[in-house]
Amino acid sequence: MSICLNVNGEERSFHGAPLTPLLDVLRDEFFLTGAKAVCREGFCGSCTVHVDGLPTLSCLRPVGLLENSAILTIEGLGISGNPSPLQKALEDHDAVQCGMCFPGMVMSLTAFLEQAPDATGADIKHALIGNICRCTGYERIIEAALSLRVPTPSVEGMP
Amino acid sequence: MPEPKSDSLYIAGSVADAVAALADRGSDGAALAGATWAMRAPIRGDRQARSHVAISKIAELRTIEVSDKEVVIGSCVTHAELARRLEPIPELRGLAMAAGSSANPAVRQVATVGGNLCTADFAAADLVPALLCLDAAVEIETSDGSARLAIADFLMRRTSLGSASLVRRIIIPLRPMLSAHARLPLRKAGDYPVAIVSLSIETRRDGTIAAARIGVGSVEAVARRWSRLEEALIGTPRDAILAGEQAQASAGTFTGRDGIDAPSWYRVMVLPTLVRRAFELLDQ
Repeated sequence: MSICLNVNGEERSFHGAPLTPLLDVLRDEFFLTGAKAVCREGFCGSCTVHVDGLPTLSCLRPVGLLENSAILTIEGLGISGNPSPLQKALEDHDAVQCGMCFPGMVMSLTAFLEQAPDATGADIKHALIGNICRCTGYERIIEAALSLRVPTPSVEGMP
Repeated sequence: MPEPKSDSLYIAGSVADAVAALADRGSDGAALAGATWAMRAPIRGDRQARSHVAISKIAELRTIEVSDKEVVIGSCVTHAELARRLEPIPELRGLAMAAGSSANPAVRQVATVGGNLCTADFAAADLVPALLCLDAAVEIETSDGSARLAIADFLMRRTSLGSASLVRRIIIPLRPMLSAHARLPLRKAGDYPVAIVSLSIETRRDGTIAAARIGVGSVEAVARRWSRLEEALIGTPRDAILAGEQAQASAGTFTGRDGIDAPSWYRVMVLPTLVRRAFELLDQ
């Protein structure tokens, strides 16, 4: 089966079994190894990428269902020397340890903070239930995300 | 990593197309919706179909229709979409809670209502008890035509319906009721729940309970209604503590399942607490 994908703005094609996980296509065919193969069951979030704008567990998506989809991986989000605001915040807060979970963390948080820029710590924790970290205890990750918070402006006189 | 055995994927354009494709493939074929369970099959050593018929692109299976009398949900509606669309409907708050708390955010974006119903080996499916307590009906399409089954009947027959059958939609009658969904995962986040209580309550003008429907999931292999508790609650005030006490008296009707996450006795032991929590959620 031949599948056309747009990966990080570039038209790519895959020729192979349609139930090949997107994760394996990205890593083994396109050499985009930012998404990590860890649990392969959708629990850990290390393989998270964006598919048509939605955070997606690439280990659970068969490439055969993704014809003409727009895929954004960590490699397309920020590049060396020009990190995204979230990536910079994570660096500034010294949040990264082994780094295994962080591509997935960044992809999940990037999408979440775009739709909830005023998210609280509790909101961020809830959004990250599908991203497991064994190193950090999550505290600095949450602090970094909160440092980007844009509070909802209050309108005078409104209850 | 284990290679997927499936060597073919057919993307169906309509329900009729999908049923015909499944009939062609017989026992070698399987419907593919959100694909979350199919993609785990190699690593879990589960049976894998040789050929899949993808149904998630069929537009009518992704719709939700709301009227005064009922809500009709296409089988490929995702958990995330279901939670979003049901949020404004107070009678279906329990189902919205179930859909909005299952698995994790990314899985909810692709996992479907139909998949949650059809995965017979998945005892901890959140949507099943939530639909049980709403007296949902399941409409299936086969090569012999359509059939509508009460959800309890569907759960008993789902593994014997034949390979050329497809869940088309789920129909929920709307009544003046309140509903809630209480689940107990081992951690606050990200685990399958060890026990689930979903309930819908209709009350009389004096505030006493006129009807109670209680679905229990993950305690046994297949979710079911808690008939004894439902009968015991009729005529009683809508009170969380009283409901918990009534649940304590009849929890023994369940035979819990042992699992790597929790032993059988624990799943039964927590049921009265979950009933109390579900009643408390009705008031929130």
